[in-house]
Amino acid sequence: MKVDRTLIASITLHVLVLGWGLISFAARSFEVPEESLPVDIITTDQLAKMTAGIKNGEKDKPKPLVEKVAEAKPIDEAVGKVTEKEITTSTAPQPPPKPVEKPVEKKPDPPKQETKPKEAEKKPDPAKVDPIAEALKSEDAKKPKPKPTPQEAKAAPPQPPKPKQERVFDQSKIAQLLDKRDPTRQSLTGAALNSNAALGLHTGNSQAIVATWKGAFVAAVRRCFTFPYNGQDADQFEVDLDINLNQDGTVAGQPAIVGVRGPSRSVGNAMAESARRAVEQCQAYAFLPKAQYDTWKYIPMTFGLKDLL
Amino acid sequence: MSKAPFVDRRRFMMVTGGLAVATLGSRSALAQGRIRVDPNSFQPIPIAIPNFVSGGPADGDAGAGVTQVITNNLKRSGLFAPIDQAAFIERNINFDAMPNFQNWKTINAQALVTGRIARQGDGRLKAEFRLWDVTSGQPLAGQQYFTAPEYWRRIAHIISDQIYERMTGEKGYFDSRVVFVDESGAAERRVKRLAIMDQDGANVHYLTKGSDLVLTPRFSPSSQEITYMEFGQGDPRVYLYNIETGQREIVGNFPGMSFSPRFSPDGQRIIMSLQQGGNSNLFVMDLRSKSTTRLTDTPAIDTSPSYSPDGSQICFESDRGGRPQIYVMSANGGPAQRISFAKDDVNASYSTPVWSPRGDYIAFTRQGGGQFAIGLIKPDGSDERILTSGFHNEGPTFAPNGRVLMFFRDPGGNAGPSLYTIDVSGRNELRVPTPGYASDPAWSPLLS
Repeated sequence: MKVDRTLIASITLHVLVLGWGLISFAARSFEVPEESLPVDIITTDQLAKMTAGIKNGEKDKPKPLVEKVAEAKPIDEAVGKVTEKEITTSTAPQPPPKPVEKPVEKKPDPPKQETKPKEAEKKPDPAKVDPIAEALKSEDAKKPKPKPTPQEAKAAPPQPPKPKQERVFDQSKIAQLLDKRDPTRQSLTGAALNSNAALGLHTGNSQAIVATWKGAFVAAVRRCFTFPYNGQDADQFEVDLDINLNQDGTVAGQPAIVGVRGPSRSVGNAMAESARRAVEQCQAYAFLPKAQYDTWKYIPMTFGLKDLL
Repeated sequence: MSKAPFVDRRRFMMVTGGLAVATLGSRSALAQGRIRVDPNSFQPIPIAIPNFVSGGPADGDAGAGVTQVITNNLKRSGLFAPIDQAAFIERNINFDAMPNFQNWKTINAQALVTGRIARQGDGRLKAEFRLWDVTSGQPLAGQQYFTAPEYWRRIAHIISDQIYERMTGEKGYFDSRVVFVDESGAAERRVKRLAIMDQDGANVHYLTKGSDLVLTPRFSPSSQEITYMEFGQGDPRVYLYNIETGQREIVGNFPGMSFSPRFSPDGQRIIMSLQQGGNSNLFVMDLRSKSTTRLTDTPAIDTSPSYSPDGSQICFESDRGGRPQIYVMSANGGPAQRISFAKDDVNASYSTPVWSPRGDYIAFTRQGGGQFAIGLIKPDGSDERILTSGFHNEGPTFAPNGRVLMFFRDPGGNAGPSLYTIDVSGRNELRVPTPGYASDPAWSPLLS
């Protein structure tokens, strides 16, 4: 009977341990494969999408012309109402004149800007002299502040040091300075958004790349992975590397070379060392989401030489 | 009673152990969703090679010279990108101390080569080098060599080979030489001399005086001998030339012209073409017994034979099908199989086939469409690839490791031919410096 008890005890203990092992190991193992699949898909898509995005961007180069117009108009809309346009237009001598005259009329018609980019550009030339002169005259007479601003668009900081402004009202100056900065930013961002909106959305697929940490991780490691091999059998070489990472994205210990495949053992070994170097050289991978540390604290990787030829 | 339960327990342990192993196995199996990384493109390895430290003031130039030769070798291979010394943070290297790897990481070096050259009391030169993994700080290779001071270049080539092999996993080819036909003078009265040089174009020596026309020199794979064809007083003959002694002899005593010789892989035989009327056939001669064996007997021109590295097969050029094409047959003769079929040009012809020392490819010259191209084809006739094409490219020869081809290119007009190298991948085409015009190169095996 005594024997039976010990047997039973040992059986129960082993079952418990085994059960725990099965559950815990199984739970961890399931996590890994979940996100591993999208990597391959993303990498292939990325290339196609990225190139497509670039092509579109090049084709739409004429839009930069629109940017100038766009800058002027949004400035008018955003800033013109709030403050004086002189300040906002200070970024570029050409745009300022338009905002003064056209803001009120063309504000509601943003689409027209796209249709008449060239016209808008042509118009400013003749109009430049008149509006600027008028604006300067009228505004100069009113306030001395505009003068410093038109001189240098991005010289917002240098303006404050000028004695004239300080002599007037500090508070009002501050408010104006703030206004100036805001409109310039808005105009720039607005222009950028406009130009990118049509093209950039396509290139926006880059988000898909970075969307998963694996895509970013692959891109980071690939940057350092240089293994020049001339043979026509390059795609037959593969190296498996197991990597443990710390929470700060640094590599914990040395990456373990767990598999080398290929027609030549010596080349495979050299490639494995090259892969290990790449992982260590490109650390730390600080961009990895710390909240998901459990998913990337251990990363099994395979290095290959596809598309090397 | 007490034994039975013990056995049971043991069996139980084995079962549970097996289950545990199975669990771990399943884990690794489940983890097969590995993240795959392939290189962005073909990129050379960034490597830092600071000047070798000199043992004394008398050795000043040797250190810089060795460093320069190593740098040049690795750079020309196309597999390494030596970092400009101007970018180095650390200049004064202490060969006996551990390098400060952070300084080399900063300039993105993956590998670092340090070395020292010093003249010994007996007049010999002592050269030491170490190859470091900059990322891990581990030494990858290290050697020291002794030699006469005038052979410092050879030391540099040997060190280059060590670095190449350690970083790429393949044998290098820097400690090798090239025999070629040096050409000088006007086009209509071109003087052709047999010349030999290091694979990088240095140390050129002339083996013949240029009084007679020489063609198709070929290295012996096992000794310091060259076989070539020379137009002497009578018919052109195949000669054997010993580089070390300067002695030469006629290979065989045949009526008519003998040409296009090449050594067998063991260096014991020479295979060549013998003219018989308007035709030529392949013969092989044993250099020891002087016995000659006929390999082909066709009413056609069979020439340019080349052994496979294992000596079991021969590739050669023949016009038995109309145009010159490449054929493969047993080294003992017998039926030959044509392997060259230009799919895009039925009028193309193939010549000068040469078997890679790796055995995987046969290099050739292809003529068609007014162009001469250098290409590769597998011995079974598949996977034909053109590496370079132009007005006139001809006469490929493999580097000892089978990864690089050297050939000569003639631009036409009054200019003469020059030697070029190109990777078997078609990348990294480079001109090989020669004192004058040069053609018909033949790469030696590794000297060491």
